[in-house]
Amino acid sequence: MTNVAQPIDDSPLGPAPGALRGGAAVARFLLIVSRYATLIALLVMCVVFSIHSPRSFFTVDNFLNILNQSSLTALIAGGLTVTLIVGEFDLSIGYAASLAGVLVAGLMSHQGLSIPLAVLATIGVGAGIGAVNGVLVAKARINSVVATLGIGTVLVGVSYTYTNGQPIAAGMPLSFLNFAVTKFLHVPKPMLVAAGVLALLWAIINLTDLGQRLQAVGGNAEAARLAGIAVDRVKIFAFVISGACAALTGVLLSSLIGSGTIAAADSYLLAAFAAVFLGSTTLRDGEFHIVGTVVGVIFINTGINGLSIFGVPTSYQNIFTGGILVVAVGLSTVTRRYTTR
Amino acid sequence: MAAAELHSDRPTGLGGPSPRAWLEVRGLSKAFAGAQALVGVDFDVWRGQVHGLVGANGAGKSTLVRCLAGLVTPDAGTISVDGSEVAITSPQAAQRLGLAFIHQELNLVPHFTALANMLLGRPKRKRLGIVDWRASRRDVQGIVDRLGIAFPLEKRVDELSVAQRWLVSIGRALIGNASMIAMDEPTASLSPAEADRLHEVVRELRAQDVAVLYVSHRLAEVLELSDTISVFRDGRLTRRATRGDLSRHRLVEEIIGRELQPEAEADAAERERQQRVADQEERPRLQLRNVHRGPLRDVSFSLAAGEIVGLGGLVGAGRTEVARILAGVDRPEHGEVLLDGRTKQWKTVAAAVRDGVALVPEERRTEGLFLDRSVAFNLNLADLRPLRHIPWLPLLNGRRARRRARDLSAQLGIRMSSISQPVGSLSGGNQQKVLIARWLTRDLKMLVLDELSRGVDVGARAEIHSLVKRLASEGTSVVAISSEVEELVEFCDRIVVLSEGRVAGEVAGEAMTTANVLSLCYADRDRRMEAA
Repeated sequence: MTNVAQPIDDSPLGPAPGALRGGAAVARFLLIVSRYATLIALLVMCVVFSIHSPRSFFTVDNFLNILNQSSLTALIAGGLTVTLIVGEFDLSIGYAASLAGVLVAGLMSHQGLSIPLAVLATIGVGAGIGAVNGVLVAKARINSVVATLGIGTVLVGVSYTYTNGQPIAAGMPLSFLNFAVTKFLHVPKPMLVAAGVLALLWAIINLTDLGQRLQAVGGNAEAARLAGIAVDRVKIFAFVISGACAALTGVLLSSLIGSGTIAAADSYLLAAFAAVFLGSTTLRDGEFHIVGTVVGVIFINTGINGLSIFGVPTSYQNIFTGGILVVAVGLSTVTRRYTTR
Repeated sequence: MAAAELHSDRPTGLGGPSPRAWLEVRGLSKAFAGAQALVGVDFDVWRGQVHGLVGANGAGKSTLVRCLAGLVTPDAGTISVDGSEVAITSPQAAQRLGLAFIHQELNLVPHFTALANMLLGRPKRKRLGIVDWRASRRDVQGIVDRLGIAFPLEKRVDELSVAQRWLVSIGRALIGNASMIAMDEPTASLSPAEADRLHEVVRELRAQDVAVLYVSHRLAEVLELSDTISVFRDGRLTRRATRGDLSRHRLVEEIIGRELQPEAEADAAERERQQRVADQEERPRLQLRNVHRGPLRDVSFSLAAGEIVGLGGLVGAGRTEVARILAGVDRPEHGEVLLDGRTKQWKTVAAAVRDGVALVPEERRTEGLFLDRSVAFNLNLADLRPLRHIPWLPLLNGRRARRRARDLSAQLGIRMSSISQPVGSLSGGNQQKVLIARWLTRDLKMLVLDELSRGVDVGARAEIHSLVKRLASEGTSVVAISSEVEELVEFCDRIVVLSEGRVAGEVAGEAMTTANVLSLCYADRDRRMEAA
C-alpha cells in the first residue's frame, strides 16, 4: 500500500472538517493484529494446555487425534466456505450430512450396494441436494437462509422416513467400518481424504477461472453479472460443492461411529460456521478462504480437546463453539467494515 | 464610494495586470511524503473577478486551495491578503480573513432550516443568549435579495434541491463577509438549467466585488465564466490566461501538457471511419424496434458498424434504460433488438457478451469494479478462457494473466504502482480505463458506455475519447451516454435524444450543436407545460 498520492485528493477542499478520521492509524494497527489473532490465540491455547497437562495434551498422539477429529469438520466447512465466498448461506449441510450417514449405511445393508457404489450414490445425492438449494436461491431468488433451512428440515424428515427412526448398524461391510479408524502410512485415512478434498477446493478457488468467478460473484454480484459472468450458474455450483462435501462428511462419520444414526452430523453445522467465520479473519480481512477455514477448524477442535482434558463436561462444548461463532462473526464483520471504503 | 474608488484600477473582466491583487500567493510549495504537490506557485486573485482553476487530478490545484483554507500548512512561500502577509493556520483563520470555501458535499446541517444554516454559528441573540430569529431574518434579507433566493428560508435543507443548497452555502459565506468564495465543482450534480442559474449567481457575485475561485473539470463553463484562468500541472502553475486567450482545444493541451492528436491526421482517420459508417447505412449493426420497458415508449433507432452514437436527454429520460437493453442486461417488454439483422433475446448478460456486446456501467464503483480486488483481477475477469494453460482444463496460467493485465494497462496508459494494487485506489479516470480495457481482448461488435467519462479528469478524458474512437475505427459500434451535452457533441457522429422515454429526435452533422440537443431534451416537457 503506497499512500503517496493520498493527500492530493480529488476534492480540492479535501474532506470536510469533522470528517477527518483520527483513529485511522489505530484501526489499521488493530486490523493487522486481528489477522494473526486466531493464530496467536491458538498458540497461547496450546501452551496453556501443554503446561497444565503435558502428559495428555502435549503428545504426538493427541495432536494426531485433534487433526483426525478436525478432518470431518474441515471437510464440511470447506464446502461451506465455497458457498460463503459467493455470498450465500447453506444451513442444510448438517442435515444433509446426517442424511448421507444413514443413506450410505442403508444402501449397503438394506439395498446391498457395494461400498464404492453406495458412497458415490450418497455423494451424488448430496450434490443433488446442493443443486436444489442452488436453484432455489439463484433462479427462484429465495433468500438462502430460508431456502437452505427449509430444505434442511425436509432432509430431517427424509432421514426419519428412510430409517423409521432406527439407527442402521447391522449388515455394514467390515472394510467400510474400518476405513475411518485405520491409517495409511501412519496417517488416519479420514485426514487424507479431508486433505485431498481441501487441496482440491483450494486449487479450484485460487487457480481456476471458476475460482475467479466465485470470488467475483461474492465480491459484487451485480458487477460480475455486467461483466458477463453467469452468476446463477456459479452460485448453483457453489451449493453443489457444499452439498457434496456435506455428504462425504456424513459417509466418513457413519464409518467412524459404525452405524447410520439419525441426526448424527447435525452439530457439524454450528462448528462449520464458527470455523469458517473465524477463518475469514485469519490472515485476511473478513474474506472467506480455505486456509483460514482449516485454521478455524483446528482452533475449535484444539479448544474442545483441551477442555475435555481439563475435565470440563462435554455439555460445555456447545457453549465454547457457539461463543466462538458469535465472536468470529463479530470480528469478521468489524474487519470487513474497516477495509471497505 | 471610497471603496469603489479604491478598486477603480483593478482589471474589470478583461484582465491586464493591476498593481495590487487582493490575494497574493508567492512561491508556495508543499510536499507530501516526498511527493511534491506544489512547486513555487505564484498566484493572484482580484476582487470582482472570477478566477478559474483547472488541472488534472493531482495537479496541485487541490493542495493550493487547501493551503488557502487552512487545512494544509505550506512548506514555503507567503500568502498576503489585502497587502499584508498572513499565516492561515486553521479554517477559522481563513474565515476571519474573508476566505470562504464551499465543498462539493456542502457542509450544511440537513435537518436545520436554510436560515439556521446560513447563520450557523453566528445568529443574532437576545439577552440570555436566546436566538432572535426575527432580527436574524432581517439581517439576512439583504443577502437573500442579492442572491435572488426565491424559496422560503424556513424550509429544511434536506428538502431543498442541490442548486438551492448551493445558494444557502453562498449566502452563509456572504454573511461571514467573505471577500473571496472558492467553489469546488459546483455544477457537478446540477441539471443544465440549475447550472445556468448558478452561473448567474457567480456573475452577480463578481458584480458585487466578490472574488470567486472556480474549480471545475467542465472546461466549457470555466472558459465562459472566468476572467482569469490558472492551469496547474505536476504541482506547478503552468499557464495564466485571461478571458479569450485560450480555445478549449488549447486549454486541454495545457492541462495534459502535450499536444492532442494533430487535427489533420485525426481528420483523416475520422473521415475514413465516417465514410465507412456512411457506406454501411444500408445494413445496420444494431436496431431497436418499438421497444417498450418501464419508462420507455416506442424507442426505435439503429446504428451502423463503427458508428459512434450518443444518447442525449435529461435525468430520467430513459438513457440508462436504453443502454441496459442494448447491452442485454434488461429485455424489452415489447419490441425487438436486432444484432446484424437477427433478433436477439439474450437471457443473460453472459449471452450478450458472447455475441460481442459489452457494457461499461453507469455506477463505476458499485456496478463495474471489484474495488478491493487488484487491477489485474478487474482487467482479466471478463475474458478468462484464453488465460487457461490448456483450453479444455479450467486451470489458469498466472503468468499469462499477469502479462495480459500489464499489456492492457500499458496500452491504455493506466497509471498505477502495480497490477496487484487494489483498483479502488486508482483515480476515476484510471478506473474507467480499467472498465473499458476489460473488453478489449474480445472481438467487440458493440460497446455501450453509460457515462463515458464522469468524474474523469481532462487528460484521461482525452485519452478515453481517442481510445474509444480507435475501437470504433476497427469496426466496433459505440453507444455513449454523458451528462455533459458538450462532450457528446464533440465526440459522437450522431446523437439520439430521448425525452420522457421517447425518442425526441436525432441530430447529426452541422445540426449537432449543444443548443439543438438541449432544445430536443426539453421539447416534450415544454409541450406538456403548455398543455397544462
